[in-house]
Amino acid sequence: MPRPPHASPQTLRLFEALLADPARWRYGYELSKETALASGTLYPILMRLSEQRLLETGWEPSEEPGRPPRHIYRLTADGVTLAEQRLAARRPAEAPRRAGPIPQTRTAGGAA
Amino acid sequence: MTAPVRVRESALRRVAYAVLARAVRGRRERGGEWGEAALAEFGETRGDWEAVRWAAGGLRTVWRERRRRARELPRPLRFARGTVLVLVVGLLAGVVVSRYVMSVGYIPSGSMEPTLQISDRVLLDRITFRATGLRRGDLVAFTKAIEPGARAHTNLKRVIGLPGDTIECRDGRVWRDGSPLDEPYLTLGPEEDRTDCSPVTVPEHQLYLLGDHRIVSIDSREYGTVDEDTVEARVVGRIWPIRD
Repeated sequence: MPRPPHASPQTLRLFEALLADPARWRYGYELSKETALASGTLYPILMRLSEQRLLETGWEPSEEPGRPPRHIYRLTADGVTLAEQRLAARRPAEAPRRAGPIPQTRTAGGAA
Repeated sequence: MTAPVRVRESALRRVAYAVLARAVRGRRERGGEWGEAALAEFGETRGDWEAVRWAAGGLRTVWRERRRRARELPRPLRFARGTVLVLVVGLLAGVVVSRYVMSVGYIPSGSMEPTLQISDRVLLDRITFRATGLRRGDLVAFTKAIEPGARAHTNLKRVIGLPGDTIECRDGRVWRDGSPLDEPYLTLGPEEDRTDCSPVTVPEHQLYLLGDHRIVSIDSREYGTVDEDTVEARVVGRIWPIRD
Protein backbone atom coordinates (compact mmCIF):
# COMPACT_ATOMS: atom_id res chain seq x y z
CA MET A 1 0.00 0.00 0.00
CA PRO A 2 1.40 3.43 -0.84
CA ARG A 3 2.30 5.65 2.06
CA PRO A 4 -0.19 8.45 2.80
CA PRO A 5 1.15 12.00 2.48
CA HIS A 6 3.10 13.47 5.40
CA ALA A 7 4.07 10.07 6.81
CA SER A 8 7.77 9.84 5.98
CA PRO A 9 10.00 9.07 8.98
CA GLN A 10 11.49 12.57 8.65
CA THR A 11 8.08 14.23 8.69
CA LEU A 12 7.06 12.13 11.68
CA ARG A 13 10.16 13.25 13.56
CA LEU A 14 9.24 16.84 12.82
CA PHE A 15 5.65 16.25 13.95
CA GLU A 16 6.94 14.86 17.23
CA ALA A 17 9.05 17.95 17.80
CA LEU A 18 6.24 20.35 16.88
CA LEU A 19 3.68 18.51 19.00
CA ALA A 20 5.82 18.73 22.13
CA ASP A 21 4.34 22.17 22.71
CA PRO A 22 2.09 23.04 19.77
CA ALA A 23 1.33 26.58 20.92
CA ARG A 24 4.96 27.68 20.93
CA TRP A 25 6.56 29.28 17.87
CA ARG A 26 9.64 27.35 16.78
CA TYR A 27 12.78 28.25 14.81
CA GLY A 28 14.32 26.31 11.92
CA TYR A 29 17.72 25.80 13.50
CA GLU A 30 16.21 24.60 16.75
CA LEU A 31 13.93 22.13 14.92
CA SER A 32 16.86 20.90 12.85
CA LYS A 33 18.83 20.20 16.03
CA GLU A 34 15.91 18.53 17.77
CA THR A 35 14.95 16.28 14.85
CA ALA A 36 18.51 15.74 13.58
CA LEU A 37 17.28 16.71 10.11
CA ALA A 38 19.61 18.63 7.82
CA SER A 39 18.37 22.03 6.69
CA GLY A 40 18.00 20.68 3.16
CA THR A 41 15.52 18.07 4.43
CA LEU A 42 13.77 20.15 7.08
CA TYR A 43 12.89 23.23 5.02
CA PRO A 44 11.29 21.38 2.10
CA ILE A 45 9.06 19.55 4.60
CA LEU A 46 8.13 22.82 6.32
CA MET A 47 7.50 24.34 2.89
CA ARG A 48 5.12 21.55 1.99
CA LEU A 49 3.26 21.67 5.30
CA SER A 50 2.85 25.42 5.10
CA GLU A 51 1.58 25.24 1.54
CA GLN A 52 -1.18 22.89 2.69
CA ARG A 53 -2.11 25.10 5.63
CA LEU A 54 -0.89 22.55 8.14
CA LEU A 55 1.77 24.93 9.37
CA GLU A 56 1.62 28.57 10.30
CA THR A 57 4.66 30.67 9.55
CA GLY A 58 5.70 34.15 10.53
CA TRP A 59 8.67 36.46 10.85
CA GLU A 60 9.84 37.37 14.33
CA PRO A 61 11.68 40.70 14.51
CA SER A 62 15.01 40.27 16.20
CA GLU A 63 15.79 41.83 19.55
CA GLU A 64 19.47 42.20 18.85
CA PRO A 65 20.39 44.92 16.38
CA GLY A 66 22.13 43.69 13.25
CA ARG A 67 20.40 40.34 13.30
CA PRO A 68 17.83 39.52 10.66
CA PRO A 69 14.26 38.62 11.64
CA ARG A 70 13.79 34.89 12.09
CA HIS A 71 11.23 32.69 10.42
CA ILE A 72 8.98 30.93 12.93
CA TYR A 73 6.65 27.97 12.75
CA ARG A 74 3.88 26.18 14.54
CA LEU A 75 1.21 23.68 13.51
CA THR A 76 -2.29 24.88 12.65
CA ALA A 77 -5.31 23.10 14.15
CA ASP A 78 -5.49 20.94 11.03
CA GLY A 79 -1.78 20.32 11.33
CA VAL A 80 -2.07 19.16 14.92
CA THR A 81 -4.90 16.77 14.02
CA LEU A 82 -2.98 15.33 11.11
CA ALA A 83 0.27 15.06 13.06
CA GLU A 84 -1.47 13.15 15.85
CA GLN A 85 -3.10 10.83 13.35
CA ARG A 86 0.14 10.14 11.56
CA LEU A 87 2.06 9.47 14.76
CA ALA A 88 -0.71 7.16 16.00
CA ALA A 89 -0.76 5.24 12.72
CA ARG A 90 2.95 4.63 12.89
CA ARG A 91 3.89 0.95 12.71
CA PRO A 92 4.71 -0.66 16.08
CA ALA A 93 8.35 -1.09 15.05
CA GLU A 94 8.65 2.68 14.90
CA ALA A 95 6.80 3.22 18.17
CA PRO A 96 7.68 6.49 19.89
CA ARG A 97 10.18 6.44 22.66
CA ARG A 98 7.92 8.63 24.73
CA ALA A 99 4.96 6.47 25.59
CA GLY A 100 1.48 7.60 26.58
CA PRO A 101 -1.42 9.27 24.83
CA ILE A 102 -1.17 12.84 23.72
CA PRO A 103 -3.23 15.13 25.97
CA GLN A 104 -6.20 16.77 24.32
CA THR A 105 -5.24 20.24 25.52
CA ARG A 106 -2.53 20.28 22.86
CA THR A 107 -5.08 20.30 20.12
CA ALA A 108 -6.71 23.32 21.67
CA GLY A 109 -3.38 25.10 21.90
CA GLY A 110 -2.66 24.58 18.21
CA ALA A 111 -5.94 26.16 17.23
CA ALA A 112 -4.78 29.62 18.26
CA MET B 1 22.50 45.37 0.52
CA THR B 2 23.49 42.12 2.23
CA ALA B 3 22.48 41.48 5.80
CA PRO B 4 25.31 42.29 8.15
CA VAL B 5 27.35 39.25 9.02
CA ARG B 6 28.50 39.17 12.58
CA VAL B 7 32.15 39.82 13.09
CA ARG B 8 34.70 37.28 14.31
CA GLU B 9 33.45 34.73 11.78
CA SER B 10 35.94 32.31 10.28
CA ALA B 11 36.74 32.59 6.58
CA LEU B 12 34.94 29.34 5.82
CA ARG B 13 31.79 30.49 7.58
CA ARG B 14 31.87 33.78 5.72
CA VAL B 15 32.25 31.99 2.40
CA ALA B 16 29.40 29.60 3.24
CA TYR B 17 27.20 32.56 4.18
CA ALA B 18 28.12 34.50 1.05
CA VAL B 19 27.37 31.52 -1.21
CA LEU B 20 24.01 30.92 0.43
CA ALA B 21 23.09 34.63 0.39
CA ARG B 22 24.01 34.83 -3.27
CA ALA B 23 21.86 31.77 -4.06
CA VAL B 24 18.91 33.07 -2.05
CA ARG B 25 18.94 36.66 -3.24
CA GLY B 26 20.89 36.82 -6.46
CA ARG B 27 20.87 40.54 -7.21
CA ARG B 28 17.62 41.21 -5.40
CA GLU B 29 17.26 42.86 -2.05
CA ARG B 30 15.46 39.88 -0.66
CA GLY B 31 15.03 36.30 -1.80
CA GLY B 32 12.22 33.79 -1.43
CA GLU B 33 10.61 33.18 1.96
CA TRP B 34 12.26 29.83 2.63
CA GLY B 35 15.68 30.72 1.35
CA GLU B 36 15.56 33.80 3.59
CA ALA B 37 14.48 31.60 6.48
CA ALA B 38 17.53 29.34 6.10
CA LEU B 39 19.73 32.41 5.71
CA ALA B 40 18.34 34.02 8.87
CA GLU B 41 19.13 30.90 10.89
CA PHE B 42 22.70 30.72 9.61
CA GLY B 43 23.98 32.73 12.57
CA GLU B 44 22.72 30.04 14.94
CA THR B 45 25.10 27.39 13.61
CA ARG B 46 28.21 26.64 15.60
CA GLY B 47 31.55 25.97 13.97
CA ASP B 48 32.69 25.61 10.39
CA TRP B 49 31.35 22.17 9.70
CA GLU B 50 27.83 22.90 10.87
CA ALA B 51 27.80 26.20 8.97
CA VAL B 52 28.81 24.51 5.73
CA ARG B 53 26.21 21.79 6.19
CA TRP B 54 23.57 24.38 6.96
CA ALA B 55 24.47 26.37 3.85
CA ALA B 56 24.41 23.22 1.70
CA GLY B 57 20.94 22.37 2.97
CA GLY B 58 19.98 25.99 2.39
CA LEU B 59 21.02 25.67 -1.25
CA ARG B 60 18.81 22.63 -1.59
CA THR B 61 15.98 24.59 -0.01
CA VAL B 62 16.45 27.44 -2.47
CA TRP B 63 16.42 25.00 -5.35
CA ARG B 64 13.23 23.34 -4.12
CA GLU B 65 11.58 26.68 -3.54
CA ARG B 66 12.44 27.84 -7.04
CA ARG B 67 11.10 24.67 -8.58
CA ARG B 68 7.92 25.10 -6.62
CA ARG B 69 7.56 28.66 -7.82
CA ALA B 70 8.16 27.60 -11.42
CA ARG B 71 5.30 25.14 -11.04
CA GLU B 72 3.03 28.02 -10.03
CA LEU B 73 3.68 29.94 -13.25
CA PRO B 74 0.71 30.10 -15.60
CA ARG B 75 0.49 26.98 -17.71
CA PRO B 76 1.25 28.56 -21.13
CA LEU B 77 4.33 30.33 -19.78
CA ARG B 78 5.61 27.14 -18.14
CA PHE B 79 5.03 25.28 -21.36
CA ALA B 80 6.80 27.98 -23.36
CA ARG B 81 9.82 27.88 -21.05
CA GLY B 82 10.09 24.13 -21.41
CA THR B 83 9.67 24.26 -25.16
CA VAL B 84 12.29 26.95 -25.61
CA LEU B 85 14.74 24.97 -23.49
CA VAL B 86 14.14 21.77 -25.44
CA LEU B 87 14.44 23.58 -28.77
CA VAL B 88 17.66 25.37 -27.89
CA VAL B 89 19.32 22.30 -26.41
CA GLY B 90 18.06 20.14 -29.26
CA LEU B 91 19.28 22.57 -31.88
CA LEU B 92 22.73 22.81 -30.34
CA ALA B 93 22.95 19.03 -29.99
CA GLY B 94 21.81 18.65 -33.59
CA VAL B 95 24.46 21.04 -34.88
CA VAL B 96 27.19 19.26 -32.94
CA VAL B 97 26.04 15.81 -34.02
CA SER B 98 25.70 16.66 -37.70
CA ARG B 99 29.03 18.43 -37.74
CA TYR B 100 31.10 15.89 -35.81
CA VAL B 101 29.25 12.63 -35.38
CA MET B 102 26.81 11.65 -38.04
CA SER B 103 24.91 13.27 -40.85
CA VAL B 104 23.03 12.59 -44.05
CA GLY B 105 24.66 13.16 -47.40
CA TYR B 106 23.01 13.78 -50.77
CA ILE B 107 24.39 12.17 -53.92
CA PRO B 108 24.51 14.85 -56.63
CA SER B 109 26.27 12.91 -59.39
CA GLY B 110 26.24 9.58 -61.15
CA SER B 111 29.91 8.83 -60.56
CA MET B 112 29.10 6.13 -57.98
CA GLU B 113 26.45 4.36 -60.07
CA PRO B 114 25.20 1.71 -59.84
CA THR B 115 25.97 1.57 -56.11
CA LEU B 116 24.52 5.03 -55.47
CA GLN B 117 22.14 6.86 -57.80
CA ILE B 118 21.70 10.59 -58.23
CA SER B 119 19.46 11.98 -55.41
CA ASP B 120 20.11 9.05 -53.06
CA ARG B 121 20.66 9.91 -49.40
CA VAL B 122 23.44 8.20 -47.49
CA LEU B 123 24.29 8.09 -43.81
CA LEU B 124 27.75 9.54 -43.12
CA ASP B 125 29.79 8.47 -40.12
CA ARG B 126 32.02 11.40 -39.26
CA ILE B 127 33.77 10.07 -36.21
CA THR B 128 34.35 6.34 -35.79
CA PHE B 129 36.47 5.91 -38.93
CA ARG B 130 39.00 8.23 -37.30
CA ALA B 131 39.52 5.61 -34.61
CA THR B 132 39.14 2.44 -36.66
CA GLY B 133 40.88 3.68 -39.80
CA LEU B 134 39.70 3.15 -43.38
CA ARG B 135 39.62 -0.15 -45.23
CA ARG B 136 39.87 -0.99 -48.89
CA GLY B 137 36.41 -0.94 -50.41
CA ASP B 138 35.02 1.71 -48.01
CA LEU B 139 33.11 4.60 -49.53
CA VAL B 140 34.41 7.93 -48.27
CA ALA B 141 33.34 11.57 -48.48
CA PHE B 142 36.23 14.01 -48.90
CA THR B 143 36.65 17.62 -49.95
CA LYS B 144 38.47 18.46 -53.12
CA ALA B 145 38.43 21.07 -55.82
CA ILE B 146 38.07 19.06 -59.01
CA GLU B 147 39.57 21.78 -61.17
CA PRO B 148 42.38 23.99 -59.93
CA GLY B 149 40.98 27.27 -58.66
CA ALA B 150 37.44 25.90 -58.36
CA ARG B 151 35.72 25.82 -54.99
CA ALA B 152 36.38 22.66 -53.01
CA HIS B 153 33.33 20.51 -52.53
CA THR B 154 32.50 17.13 -51.14
CA ASN B 155 33.09 14.08 -53.32
CA LEU B 156 32.19 10.51 -52.68
CA LYS B 157 34.45 7.69 -53.92
CA ARG B 158 35.55 4.16 -53.10
CA VAL B 159 38.89 3.43 -51.41
CA ILE B 160 40.89 1.31 -53.86
CA GLY B 161 44.39 1.77 -52.48
CA LEU B 162 45.73 2.45 -48.99
CA PRO B 163 49.22 3.84 -48.29
CA GLY B 164 51.84 1.43 -49.63
CA ASP B 165 49.52 -0.29 -52.12
CA THR B 166 50.61 -0.49 -55.73
CA ILE B 167 47.77 0.23 -58.13
CA GLU B 168 47.84 -0.45 -61.87
CA CYS B 169 45.37 -1.20 -64.62
CA ARG B 170 45.64 -4.06 -67.13
CA ASP B 171 43.13 -4.85 -69.86
CA GLY B 172 40.57 -2.46 -68.35
CA ARG B 173 40.76 -3.98 -64.84
CA VAL B 174 42.32 -2.66 -61.65
CA TRP B 175 45.24 -4.58 -60.13
CA ARG B 176 46.47 -4.08 -56.61
CA ASP B 177 49.88 -5.35 -55.53
CA GLY B 178 50.06 -7.59 -58.57
CA SER B 179 46.64 -9.26 -58.47
CA PRO B 180 43.40 -8.28 -60.20
CA LEU B 181 40.68 -6.89 -57.93
CA ASP B 182 37.39 -8.65 -57.49
CA GLU B 183 34.91 -5.81 -57.95
CA PRO B 184 31.38 -7.20 -57.69
CA TYR B 185 29.93 -3.65 -57.52
CA LEU B 186 30.83 -3.08 -61.18
CA THR B 187 27.70 -4.33 -62.96
CA LEU B 188 27.17 -1.87 -65.81
CA GLY B 189 28.88 -4.04 -68.45
CA PRO B 190 32.38 -4.23 -69.94
CA GLU B 191 32.09 -0.88 -71.75
CA GLU B 192 31.11 1.18 -68.73
CA ASP B 193 33.25 -0.71 -66.21
CA ARG B 194 36.44 -0.51 -68.20
CA THR B 195 39.15 1.11 -66.09
CA ASP B 196 42.38 2.54 -67.42
CA CYS B 197 44.95 4.16 -65.21
CA SER B 198 48.61 4.90 -64.83
CA PRO B 199 50.43 2.73 -62.25
CA VAL B 200 51.08 4.33 -58.87
CA THR B 201 52.31 3.37 -55.41
CA VAL B 202 50.14 5.13 -52.82
CA PRO B 203 52.32 7.40 -50.62
CA GLU B 204 52.00 7.71 -46.83
CA HIS B 205 48.80 9.47 -45.67
CA GLN B 206 47.31 9.30 -49.14
CA LEU B 207 44.46 7.27 -50.62
CA TYR B 208 43.74 6.01 -54.11
CA LEU B 209 40.04 6.60 -54.77
CA LEU B 210 37.84 5.55 -57.68
CA GLY B 211 34.16 6.10 -58.46
CA ASP B 212 32.18 2.97 -59.27
CA HIS B 213 30.92 4.42 -62.56
CA ARG B 214 34.35 4.18 -64.15
CA ILE B 215 33.52 5.73 -67.50
CA VAL B 216 32.18 9.01 -66.05
CA SER B 217 33.91 9.30 -62.66
CA ILE B 218 36.62 11.87 -62.19
CA ASP B 219 38.86 10.41 -59.50
CA SER B 220 42.43 9.39 -58.62
CA ARG B 221 43.01 8.41 -62.26
CA GLU B 222 42.60 12.12 -63.02
CA TYR B 223 43.94 13.96 -60.00
CA GLY B 224 46.15 11.36 -58.37
CA THR B 225 46.05 10.17 -54.79
CA VAL B 226 44.11 12.14 -52.18
CA ASP B 227 45.29 13.39 -48.79
CA GLU B 228 43.81 11.34 -45.92
CA ASP B 229 43.15 14.58 -43.99
CA THR B 230 40.55 15.64 -46.53
CA VAL B 231 38.33 12.66 -45.68
CA GLU B 232 35.32 13.93 -43.72
CA ALA B 233 33.24 10.83 -43.38
CA ARG B 234 32.74 7.20 -44.20
CA VAL B 235 29.51 6.12 -45.83
CA VAL B 236 27.57 3.77 -43.58
CA GLY B 237 24.92 3.00 -46.15
CA ARG B 238 22.06 4.33 -48.17
CA ILE B 239 19.06 5.43 -46.14
CA TRP B 240 16.86 6.70 -48.98
CA PRO B 241 15.33 5.42 -51.15
CA ILE B 242 14.87 2.01 -49.62
CA ARG B 243 15.78 -0.55 -52.25
CA ASP B 244 16.57 -4.25 -51.70
